[in-house]
Amino acid sequence: MEKKIGVYVCHCGGNISDYVDVEKVRQAIEDEGGVMLAKTTMFACSDSNQKDMVDDIKKNDLNGVVVASCSPKLHLTTFGNVSERAGLNKYNYVHANIREQVSWAHSDDKAGATEKAIHIVRAAIAKARFTESLEPNKIEAQKAVAIIGSGVAGMKAAIELSNMDCPVYIIEREFFIGGRVSQWGAMFTTNETGKEVVTRLYNDMIRRPNVTVFTGAEVITNVGSIGDFKLKVKITPRYVKEKCDRGKLQQAIDACPVVVPDEFNFNITSRKAIYHNFPSEYPQAAVIDMKSCTRCGKCESICDNIDFSQKEEILDIHVGSVLMATGFDPYTPHDGEFGYNEFANVVTLPQFKRMIELNENKLMHQGKEVKNIAYIYCVGSRQEEGGNTYCSRYCCTSAIHASLLVKKKYPSVYNYHFNRGIRTYGKQESLYYDSSAQGDIYLQAYEDALPVVTWNGSNSIVKINDILTGGREMEVEADLVVLVTGMVPRAENSVGTLFKLPKGRDKFFNEIHMKLRPVETFIDGVTIAGACQGPKNIMESVNSALSAATKSFSYVSKGELETEPIVAVIDPVLCTWCDACSKACPFDAISMTKDGTKSIALINNSVCKGCGMCLPVCPTDAIELIAYSNNEIESMIDALAHD
Amino acid sequence: MANIDPKFGEALKEYGGVNFNACYNCGNCTAVCSLSTPEDSFPREMVRLSVLGLQDDLKSSLKPWLCYYCGECTTHCPQTANPGELMMSLRRWLTSQYDWTGLSGLLYKSLPLSIIAFVLTTIGVIAFAAYESFNLETIIHFGHYFEMIAIGAVFTFILLPNIIRMWWFVILKPKIQVSFSTYVKSIRELIVHMFTQKRSLGCDDNQVRWFEHLILVFGYLALLFTTVFLDWFSSQNLFVIILGYVESVVIFVVTFDFMGSRIKKNKEINKFSQPSDWFFVIWLFLMGLTAFIVRAFIDLDILETNSWMYLLHLTVLVQWALIIVPFGKWTHFLYRSFAMYFDKVKKMSA
Ligand SMILES: Cc1cc2nc3c(=O)[nH]c(=O)nc-3n(C[C@H](O)[C@H](O)[C@H](O)COP(=O)(O)OP(=O)(O)OC[C@H]3O[C@@H](n4cnc5c(N)ncnc54)[C@H](O)[C@@H]3O)c2cc1C
Ligand code: SF4
Ligand code: SF4
Repeated sequence: MEKKIGVYVCHCGGNISDYVDVEKVRQAIEDEGGVMLAKTTMFACSDSNQKDMVDDIKKNDLNGVVVASCSPKLHLTTFGNVSERAGLNKYNYVHANIREQVSWAHSDDKAGATEKAIHIVRAAIAKARFTESLEPNKIEAQKAVAIIGSGVAGMKAAIELSNMDCPVYIIEREFFIGGRVSQWGAMFTTNETGKEVVTRLYNDMIRRPNVTVFTGAEVITNVGSIGDFKLKVKITPRYVKEKCDRGKLQQAIDACPVVVPDEFNFNITSRKAIYHNFPSEYPQAAVIDMKSCTRCGKCESICDNIDFSQKEEILDIHVGSVLMATGFDPYTPHDGEFGYNEFANVVTLPQFKRMIELNENKLMHQGKEVKNIAYIYCVGSRQEEGGNTYCSRYCCTSAIHASLLVKKKYPSVYNYHFNRGIRTYGKQESLYYDSSAQGDIYLQAYEDALPVVTWNGSNSIVKINDILTGGREMEVEADLVVLVTGMVPRAENSVGTLFKLPKGRDKFFNEIHMKLRPVETFIDGVTIAGACQGPKNIMESVNSALSAATKSFSYVSKGELETEPIVAVIDPVLCTWCDACSKACPFDAISMTKDGTKSIALINNSVCKGCGMCLPVCPTDAIELIAYSNNEIESMIDALAHD
Repeated sequence: MANIDPKFGEALKEYGGVNFNACYNCGNCTAVCSLSTPEDSFPREMVRLSVLGLQDDLKSSLKPWLCYYCGECTTHCPQTANPGELMMSLRRWLTSQYDWTGLSGLLYKSLPLSIIAFVLTTIGVIAFAAYESFNLETIIHFGHYFEMIAIGAVFTFILLPNIIRMWWFVILKPKIQVSFSTYVKSIRELIVHMFTQKRSLGCDDNQVRWFEHLILVFGYLALLFTTVFLDWFSSQNLFVIILGYVESVVIFVVTFDFMGSRIKKNKEINKFSQPSDWFFVIWLFLMGLTAFIVRAFIDLDILETNSWMYLLHLTVLVQWALIIVPFGKWTHFLYRSFAMYFDKVKKMSA
């Protein structure tokens, strides 16, 4: 079909026309092949001009449109929409940038700028001669979502998806759900306990027929892409039947000879190889930890609900979207960091939280009553360049909340907070007030002169040059030093690699855009929620879980997905399947297929992002990118190079 | 190396400190204070030292005396840490530290003890009167001498040693080298501040309060002089008689106004009145009033038949001289003047 192109050259008030002679540009291109109409306009994006464009397109039956104006980042979509409003497929619209690339860049050379603008517009017209109407690719979407991780974020997302009638598989690596929150007693800012929060979520989640919960479960393979993820999930058995006689079970636990550190209590206590974590964690069923079990059989001889014959299972799960909610690890200080693993009375905040839970009337540590507690803030956070430079957000509030708890529970305790500026943002500030008002002492230093912990033979001495007292050296003899440790990504986070999830500089999973696309990832169909994305408290984790649930649901809700039509296409005749393209593709969109007996490359349209990385590596030039074909690009280059 | 003592904060509350632990060191109080200067920066620094319980630093500091409690800092504190009241409580605490007898501290901290002291002095006066068979002439005669002796004794045995202790805390102990001539040259500062409290004029909006204070000080000193040296109650000199009346009226009118504002709590400084503040104004008021009535009774020739009136006046006088002057708020006036003096001395020696 013969091309009828309309061209609009914009003054942009004076932003362009002060340096580019727009009328001269218009005259220079009005006789180009295919150009039916060429106009200048004061503001191309103004309502009145948009209306005129719609009228022009309709009246003249235009099938190509070029606007020479500002950056396509600003108005490509605007003018694409103008075309659609006039009944012209938006892929027939071509944008020419003569502001950022011309008038602003060459304000010192008006004649040169005008000349460059003419070339850029000519190139856009050259491309417009080849444009075609395109329709989005449609792919089938499996209406189900897999959630990986069953902490507060995972559970809240599961409940939300279930409310939207979307089947959910929630896959938890541990034998108990609830994540970190189940480990905390009373929590800021409401004083609800972790157990209460987890119980509420669990009870709500478990009663739903469209939510399937797996514990002791791990995703081991993932093939497919948005709309169609095929996961294999390995389920490790508990070796204890779920319904069993509690009395016998307890006897069996008592009989177990294997004693190992209890990770639930951050190793400040120990447990047996057969153990349970209730009342805090669900399901309320015991489990045998096969890594430490010696198969001595003592428990089995006491309790008949113990079943060593249970077998590992591999399940196939088929979902349209994956929601990642694998949470965080508390930072582990290295040996000697503020006396950690060096002096007996240095613990981390997570350990301290467990100590408050476990000590009833007196706060005891290693047989000694604790009177003076020194909290050292920002351990593992706000480090120098090269370390964890971020702030972990939760820890100031959590430490202060803990100090209020201890003072209430053990009134004779004194709290000393060695901080670097308190960040109890928002409503959490009232806790800071309460803690100061109750007489807690706050001492502050900058990062270049952190507090120093030494040992005087029986206690830790914490020294600081306090900037709130004119930099004077102060010291506190502490019975207990609590390192207020931040959040770090899970040490075992290989599930991210399985999904090729990009990580940020902080090594947490990364979103596409911090503000505008906060739960989407560069892997289409995979969303992220909770603290696997970066430090978050419960409210923030739940907020992101709700938006990730909605986003994941939007991929699968219609049973069908639309993706951009701008993808790579293979010429089966030229392709020799040398494999170079599949190696170059950053999104794993290329695989091998058979064309009769010949091996050729196959593009997965739902994964291909049209980035064009495969094009230059193809030795036989067998790949074209839709809307950026060789013809289009070459004709643009010709137009630019021609005087 | 400073050792932190969080228990001190709890102790200071007994001297009237309110919620100063809530301070988060923003420094607003220091910024709004019209008396704070870069060299003498307060009250935040004093709040900080109090929170940390650095008692030695507090004892050697004169800053609590540099504050005249306009209350601006408290108004502007975002944490309602009441820095102004903290400064006031530090003055009370310092007074108790300067006092070698330790009675100031006891009386500040315990209202029952104060009441017992007042009751005991009342009993003492009545017992003495009974011993003298309620002979008015002897009692008036005694009253006159009591005033002279009390002034001399309280000054020699209580106030002078206390000022020497203050000197030790702020100059000698911190090892500040001061030459004799500096002491002599700075004497002017002591006199001026003692009689005018002129520094408090630096406070915003304080002109009326300063003026009231000024006439109260002069009224009080003049009445003291008139009764002790001009023997007002026995004088026949019309000028002396009228002078005494005027002075006693000035005292009870001004103190009446002070009491009014303490009751209304309409100013920041009056929000947290302590018993010691009340005792001071009430007794000053009673002194003025009873002296006035006694002289009026003499002039109306009815004192003879109403000797209880003189006993009342004498009781107030004894309590004033034995409790409030040596151990109560009256000393603030003295220490403040000396603080100005020592401050000048310190600055000249720096
Ligand atoms: C000491 C401390 C005190 C705190 N106190 C408070 C408080 O008082 N108030 C508050 O609001 N917040 C508090 N927080 C923050 C709170 O713990 C987090 O916001 C919350 O745990 C984040 O939830 P999550 O679901 O994202 O992650 P997590 O709680 O870490 O849960 C993630 C889950 O995913 C599972 N998982 C991980 N990897 C895999 C995998 N590969 N496959 C399957 N499952 C996997 C884990 O086993 C876990 O169950 C505190 C944090 C700490 C460290
Ligand atoms: S929240 Fe507080 S303790 Fe935690 S890293 Fe940030 S500033 Fe440091
Ligand atoms: S204004 Fe209040 S919070 Fe701020 S420094 Fe002064 S006393 Fe502290």
